[in-house]
Amino acid sequence: MVSKVLVANRGEIACRILRACSEAGIGSVAICAPNDQGSLFTELADEVVLLEGTTIGETYLDQEQIIAAAHSTGADAIHPGFGFLSERAEFARHVSANGLIWIGPSPEAIDQMGDKMTARQTMRAAGVPVIPGEEVEEVDEAKTLEALRGAAQRVGYPLLLKASSGGGGKGMRAVHDPADFDQAASAAQREAIAAFGDGRIYIERLLTGSKHIEIQVLADRHGRTIHLGERECSVQRRHQKVFEEAPGPTMTPELREAMGQAAVAAAQAVDYEGAGTVEFLLAASGEFFFLEMNTRIQVEHPVTELVTGVDIVREQLRIANGEPMSCGDLMIRGHAIEVRLYAEDAANNFLPAIGPLAVFRPPEGPGIRLDTGVREGDDITPNYDPMLAKLIVWAPSRVEALQKMRRALDEFVILGTTTNVEFLRDLCDAQPVIDGSTTTTTIDTLWPNGWNPPQDLTLEDASLLVAAGAETLGLHRQRERSAKEGTGGPESPFATLNRRYP
Amino acid sequence: MMQHTFASSDGPIEVTLARHGEALQLSGYSLAQHDRGRLLVTLANGTTCIAHATKVGDVWWVHLNGRTYRWERIEPGSSSAHDEGGLVAPMPGKVLEVLVREGQSVEAGTALMVLEAMKMEHRIVASTDGMVAHIHFQAGEQVAQGAVLLDLEETE
Repeated sequence: MVSKVLVANRGEIACRILRACSEAGIGSVAICAPNDQGSLFTELADEVVLLEGTTIGETYLDQEQIIAAAHSTGADAIHPGFGFLSERAEFARHVSANGLIWIGPSPEAIDQMGDKMTARQTMRAAGVPVIPGEEVEEVDEAKTLEALRGAAQRVGYPLLLKASSGGGGKGMRAVHDPADFDQAASAAQREAIAAFGDGRIYIERLLTGSKHIEIQVLADRHGRTIHLGERECSVQRRHQKVFEEAPGPTMTPELREAMGQAAVAAAQAVDYEGAGTVEFLLAASGEFFFLEMNTRIQVEHPVTELVTGVDIVREQLRIANGEPMSCGDLMIRGHAIEVRLYAEDAANNFLPAIGPLAVFRPPEGPGIRLDTGVREGDDITPNYDPMLAKLIVWAPSRVEALQKMRRALDEFVILGTTTNVEFLRDLCDAQPVIDGSTTTTTIDTLWPNGWNPPQDLTLEDASLLVAAGAETLGLHRQRERSAKEGTGGPESPFATLNRRYP
Repeated sequence: MMQHTFASSDGPIEVTLARHGEALQLSGYSLAQHDRGRLLVTLANGTTCIAHATKVGDVWWVHLNGRTYRWERIEPGSSSAHDEGGLVAPMPGKVLEVLVREGQSVEAGTALMVLEAMKMEHRIVASTDGMVAHIHFQAGEQVAQGAVLLDLEETE
């Protein structure tokens, strides 16, 4: 029975899960590293356990401390969110062994999908198309390069070298010229060993100009495994998604059905439970290939929620509690777009930025959802991922959704820390985004020499007037004054209220 | 007249504002206070928009029509940090001359003090219209870098 959930995460996804618990009438516990004290998510939990330690390894990745926190607070379930321990099978095992409910798939499913070579083999056996390529099982280090060379010959160029334990672009190398192969293979291996302690490499044909399409799946313990349609997440920079939408702009009902069935087959092949995402590459030819399965809630889950009306996190709680999922037949309505708000300098090679969120005024209005982990007054530090929030819009059509996103981004005021808001806004005007022809190389093609904000001399001059005028008017002193005076408003009548008790 | 200097990649930009009643003006643009932290900008073509402005350190962050600009203000008479309302010595040196007296009203741009440092004369200039509240050093005195030379109370 899930009656109190410990959320083993931080930031916006912790907020999302803690709010779902609150809505479901389930108790919640947040864990918090010392440098996260006072963060938004800690205010949304019924209880907060302060972790000891300074590094991520000593805090959000410390399995013993987290399980001890669950025991000391009487939590009976752990939701891992994404990142951190969410795809660590040994943690899932550890949680179950301690008599706690793991909100996610079985450790076996995590293992089978986490090892990319095993996943490819499992999918092939289940009849799910995988990207043409070869796994190299050679264990003798002296012979691996030779074996990889042979596999590369058979797969053909251009190709992609990938670490079997990889993720996030680590241990990954694109090779266009056979002459570069040896060097790239050694580099990928070294990186894989350093990052994952596992140097096994496989080779995939490099499918340029393809779309990244993923299918959300849900599976309960009552024999039901369904898909919730697709998300397109082709727009990426450095293998990280920035712009996601549902439904896919070029999707057809037939292709959705075929990909949906393949995703369900993939989930069933590993006896999947809970929410998961099967990622595919959709080639220009219309063929689709299994890329990998993410065995957790995903960053971009809100776009699916908005077009299907399914609360995915709520379903996760339901499924973990042994109940049947509550969703009916798949019905896709309207169009949703999500952008990821990063503290980064898009004009400077997307370098992470830090600073105070001196002003943070999100857009409002119909069809706008903000999943944020921060609020005005917070400091953005280099301690964690620079993703601050996700802005998601819904509208009856794709054209209107894009119009709404432009309006929302124009309204978004963030001062004190550099963010990618203007980059995202500019992206909404890019032709491939407008006509839905985005691919995984769109950003590099649009801005081969890096992005720069479009020049607008009228606005630039006006902004100088504002800066000079604000200084003249003493706007900064007004803010300081109001901060010193507390509310800054008229004196509160409650300060002098004298309550009498009969 | 209120003069401010901001840093840019093409060198310092000097901005001189004119006051017309409640509004401040600059080459066709007009600016008025809207409410706390926000300003109403009227562009040359007559359209208006609300600007958000906040100062972090010496940098004014300005949001206007979906765009965010950063302008680092260069303090008159100083190259870096300054004390609230004070004018500081840009480098160690000697006060050569005090050009104003306490209680005197001055306009932005008025020379207040002459400082000698590294064999060069530096004029300490009023950043805004205001009243000289206090003079901390007299002619002939040595000052350290960053020392507050005089306090200027801005007139609203």
